[in-house]
Amino acid sequence: MASVTGLSNPRAYLLDNRRFVGIMFLLPALVYILLLVGFPFLLAIAFGFSDVTVGNTDLSFVGFRNYEAVWENNIFRQVFGNTVMFTLVSQFFILIFANILAIIFTQEFTGKWFARFIFILPWATPVSLAAIGWLYMFDTKLSPVDYLLLQTGFLGPDGVWGPGRNLLWLARPALSQVSVIFVQVWRMTPLATVILMAGLSSIPTDILDQAEVDGSRFMRTLLQIKLPLILPIMVIALLFSMITMFGDMTVVYLLTRGGPIDYTRILGLYSFQIGIEGGNLAQGAAMALFAFPLLLALAIVMLRVASRAEVR
Amino acid sequence: MGAIFMSLVELRGIKKYFDKVRAVDGVDLEIDEGEFLVILGPSGCGKTTLMRMIAGLENPTAGQVFIGGADVTALPPRKRGVSMVFQSYALYPHMNVFNNIAFPLKAQRREKKFDRRAIRGKVVDTARLLEIDMLLDRRPRQLSGGQRQRVAIARAMVTQPAVILLDEPLSNLDAKLRANARDELKEFQRSSNITAVFVTHDQIEAMGLGDRIVVMSDGKIQQVGTPQLIYDDPANEFVATFLGSPSMNILRADAWSFGFRPENFLPKTLADNPENSRIFDYYVKRVEYLGSDRLVYGYIRGRDSELTLAKVPSNVRVSLDVDSDYEFAVHNSDIKFFDRVSGQRIEHQDLGGVV
Ligand SMILES: Nc1ncnc2c1ncn2[C@@H]1O[C@H](COP(=O)(O)OP(=O)(O)OP(=O)(O)O)[C@@H](O)[C@H]1O
Ligand SMILES: [Mg+2]
Repeated sequence: MASVTGLSNPRAYLLDNRRFVGIMFLLPALVYILLLVGFPFLLAIAFGFSDVTVGNTDLSFVGFRNYEAVWENNIFRQVFGNTVMFTLVSQFFILIFANILAIIFTQEFTGKWFARFIFILPWATPVSLAAIGWLYMFDTKLSPVDYLLLQTGFLGPDGVWGPGRNLLWLARPALSQVSVIFVQVWRMTPLATVILMAGLSSIPTDILDQAEVDGSRFMRTLLQIKLPLILPIMVIALLFSMITMFGDMTVVYLLTRGGPIDYTRILGLYSFQIGIEGGNLAQGAAMALFAFPLLLALAIVMLRVASRAEVR
Repeated sequence: MGAIFMSLVELRGIKKYFDKVRAVDGVDLEIDEGEFLVILGPSGCGKTTLMRMIAGLENPTAGQVFIGGADVTALPPRKRGVSMVFQSYALYPHMNVFNNIAFPLKAQRREKKFDRRAIRGKVVDTARLLEIDMLLDRRPRQLSGGQRQRVAIARAMVTQPAVILLDEPLSNLDAKLRANARDELKEFQRSSNITAVFVTHDQIEAMGLGDRIVVMSDGKIQQVGTPQLIYDDPANEFVATFLGSPSMNILRADAWSFGFRPENFLPKTLADNPENSRIFDYYVKRVEYLGSDRLVYGYIRGRDSELTLAKVPSNVRVSLDVDSDYEFAVHNSDIKFFDRVSGQRIEHQDLGGVV
């Protein structure tokens, strides 16, 4: 009898225990958070209040000295401004493009699967590879974009953007910022689109059929039914994308190293350059931690908005 | 179309195939103005698909749909003057009740020239009619099942459509609420004189609500008629056995079969017209007491392999003992004959050599 009910088998009994199973399910996430997020975070805080360098790894407490130094650093202020500006501007475009693309990709048309596949590639490409591709596109001499502009008469002796034969994408202040934002938008739009597509296809078909029978046309259905219903998912997607962008350094590191001057230097890159390349671990850590309260506040506000917009 | 009278909705040779699945397989149907038409059939027989084609949500593989005499087969839903209540009610979860009901009015405001004030008036009037006017500020998730159903009906009614399509709108309600809602729905349809097409797989709902019932199976119409016609005069074996609970007893002969309903199979002493009845020797195996009726399980002597049921009213004082033989009678006109192959009704056959 006991074998039938499984009572003689202690393991089956343990797996029937909700608390135990719950903890087991959480364990991998807990380990991950503690080891790979919690520990480095605490270490960064410890570094931020010390005078540690790559050469001298003894931690001695120095109070808020690093933070004061960072705050008085003019370059840091520009870097911080750049980071906020790059994040906001690229999120703006990502949101617009991702919405448009998600709507297109959830319609029925021939070649949809191929179009989706092609479109997902930027996201699937390793950043370093993509950046090298874009380095070539933006090259001072070899840029294919410049070549096209030259052929179409925008560049060159008589062109509106002439007389030069090259735009020098990554060497001019404003243009380098545009280039970096462009690559970020190119790179991040697919993920946002996929998230929004998942949101759109989770809307019950009954609701959309009902809207159709009620006489609603494309735009009304989009603005009054679809978008409000995916708003929570949209906010979450935006939050993820913003946090990723805020901490990112790979794109600028590979494209511009922060130049010209400091025009494309952002927080992640600068703290890396100061802390690791410059060896001043303490100040690098203090710098990176400046982003923390901002992102925390952002996450709280956006998660609130998302849960308030959640209606199902 | 011509000057001859035409029904409000007409379906001609409608088919819908999903790859190999023949969801609807050649349906011809006319629906009259002001009629309450019920489409009844087992799960998966194509009821919803048929309704979606009337609404314009699904393009027929073949055939035509006419509404008000005009061929609307190629028109989108919004040009058909049809509204629909889905089984799930499909209320817009992010809108309050007012905005849910107002949505079709707003969507059609340009064509129908509703202004803001007219919309408000119509919504409030319809809500009052369905007794949900105190719920206008609530979100759908704050409503009970019955209230949601009323909101869905209000939203379907508010534009005064030519036809309202209802896809099993009562199936999400509990039994008691369901009987209530059925009564109200019928009352409401009668007083507003709207044309309603109501889909269900519940025969009691169908019998109670329908002016006419369309019985479907396997994508085809089996029979169309008043509830009484369908029950008393089924066109084929499927209709005969699908309606009625418990279902009709069917006994097989060589080329045909015959059947009679359990409630028409009564002890001979109770038969009001024994000369015109067929008498069977009936062996009682088991009796279930159901309150108002006794359900008798047994078989006709010589037909021991075919379970035959009788439904005997409890208030008649006939004792029915288990494991005993009785004489049971069925009025000749209550015996129906069917072709063994096609299942279609055939004329009376001689039962002499069979039982
Ligand atoms: N979009 C679709 N794609 C493929 N097959 C479908 C589709 N819609 C319906 N079917 C099939 O068509 C048949 C009829 O389906 P339908 O939904 O019309 O049945 P129903 O009579 O409404 O059943 P129920 O009472 O369960 O709602 C079923 O076999 C179903 O599997
Ligand atoms: Mg159905």
